[in-house]
Amino acid sequence: MSIEVKNLVKTFGEHRVIDDVSFKVNDSETLAIVGFSGSGKSTILKLICGLLKQDSGEIITSEGDIAMVFQYSALFDSLNVADNISFALRERRDLRKKYDEKELKNIVAQKLELVGLKGIETKFPSELSGGMQKRVSFARAIVTEPNSILYDEPTSGLDPISSTLIEDYIVRLKEETKAASIVVTHQMSTITRTADRVIMLYDGKIVFEGTPDEMLKQDNDYTKQFVTASLEGPMQMIA
Amino acid sequence: MGALQKYYKQSATYKIFSGILTHCADFLDTLGKISIKGMQLLKAVLTAKIDKKELIEQCERFGVSSLPITLSIVGMTSVIVSSQVANEMVKQGGGHLVGLLMTMLIVREVGAIMSGFAIISMIGSSLASELATMRVTEQIDAVKVLKVNPVEYLFVPRVLSGILMMPLVVILASVVGVLTGAVATALTTDLSFRAYFDSAWLGVYMKDLSVSLLKAVAFGGTIALISCTCGYYASGGAKGVGIATTKAVVWSFVAIVIWDMIFALAFFF
Repeated sequence: MSIEVKNLVKTFGEHRVIDDVSFKVNDSETLAIVGFSGSGKSTILKLICGLLKQDSGEIITSEGDIAMVFQYSALFDSLNVADNISFALRERRDLRKKYDEKELKNIVAQKLELVGLKGIETKFPSELSGGMQKRVSFARAIVTEPNSILYDEPTSGLDPISSTLIEDYIVRLKEETKAASIVVTHQMSTITRTADRVIMLYDGKIVFEGTPDEMLKQDNDYTKQFVTASLEGPMQMIA
Repeated sequence: MGALQKYYKQSATYKIFSGILTHCADFLDTLGKISIKGMQLLKAVLTAKIDKKELIEQCERFGVSSLPITLSIVGMTSVIVSSQVANEMVKQGGGHLVGLLMTMLIVREVGAIMSGFAIISMIGSSLASELATMRVTEQIDAVKVLKVNPVEYLFVPRVLSGILMMPLVVILASVVGVLTGAVATALTTDLSFRAYFDSAWLGVYMKDLSVSLLKAVAFGGTIALISCTCGYYASGGAKGVGIATTKAVVWSFVAIVIWDMIFALAFFF
C-alpha cells in the first residue's frame, strides 16, 4: 500500500475543508481527485506531502519519497533546467555526496528524455512554454525516484494538445516508476485518460468513489452535475 | 444582544482597541518567527555543509552591488555634516579639531548606520521580495517537498554573506566618509587637507574601529535574517510580496537603530 489516508480532518479557521476523508492508492495506480474549486483537493495533496499538518486522522505512506508536481510548475526561476532537475540531488543532505558532476549530467539528460525535452539543460524556466515548464517539473519530481507522485492540476491552463501530452506523460511515468499517483484535476480528459479510480469531494467529504466509467454513467447526482457542468444539482457554488 | 454587539463592533473604541491588539499580535508573531529562524539558522550554520558557490554569489550581491549606493550615501552625509560643522568650528577657533571630530563621528556612527540604511533599502528589500516571490509561487514549497532544508538552502548563504560583507562595506564607507569630509571642509573653510588629516588620525581609536566592525557584523546579520524571515513567511499574491518587503524594511530599520543604541550604551556610556 503506497498511500493510505484515514479519517483525515483539516480546518482553516472555522471552515472544515477536509471532513473525515479516507481512501487508499496502491502502487502503479492513479487516483483522480475531482471537485469544485475550494473543495479541498489541493489541501489533501499538501497534507500528504507534509506541507500542511492535519488536525486529526492518519496518512500512511510506504517508505521512500513523495514527489509533487505543482499547479504552476514552481520551478526555481533563478536556476536553469539542469539545476532545477538535479536540485534535490545537489542540495539534499542524504544525496549531495552520492553523485559526481558527470553522473548528475547523465541523470538530468535521462529525465529530460523521459519527458520528451532533450537538450534544454541550459535554458531558464522563463524561456520555456507552460507545457514545457510542466514537463520539466515532472522531471524534477521523479529525479529521486519517488514511490508516490502527486499532481496538482497538471493540465490546468494548457491548450488541449499540451494537455494530452501531459496526460500521456502521467501514464508513462506511472508505468516507468510504478508509483502510486494522485491527480487533482477538473478536466474530464485528464480523468478519463490517466485515472484508474476517481473520488469526488464536496464540502470536505467524499461524495463519489468509483472508476472513470462509473463516473461517466452519471448514476450519482454529484457526478451527474459535475460531468454535465450543470448549475442545477446537489452542489451549490458559493457566489 | 446581536444588535448591541454589532453596534459595539462599529464603534471607534472597538476599532482602535482591536487595531492595537492586531498590531501587538502581529509584532509578537514576527518577533517569534525571527527568533525561531535565528535559532534554526545557528543550528544549520553549525551542522550543515555551506554551499560555497551560493555564498560567493550572495557575498557579491551584498557587498559589491550595494557599494555605489552605500558609498554615495555615506559620502554625501559626510559632506552635509562637515559643511555645517567645519565652518562653525573654524569660526570658534576649533579648526584644528575638525578632522578629529569628523573621523570620530564617521567611524563611530555615520559609517555603520548610514551603510546599514543603504543596505536595508537595497539588499534587505531585495532579499525579502525574492523570498516572498518564491513563497507565493510555491518555490519554497517545492524546496520542502524535495526534502531540502529551506533554512540551509535559503537563509545560511544570505545571512552569512551579510555577516561577512557588512564589515567590508562599513570600512570602505568610513574611508570614503573621512575623505569626502576632508574635501568638503577644504572647500567650505580655509582649513587645509593637512590640518584636517593631522587631527583626523587623533580621532581613530582601536576601540572605535573594533566597535564599528562589531556593529557592522550585527547589522549585516540582522538585516539579512529579518529580510529573509519576512520574505519567507509572506502570504497571498503580489500584495503579500509588497507587505513582506515593507515589513522587512521597517523591522530592519528599527532593529539596527536598537543595535546602535545598545552598542552606544555598552561601549561609550
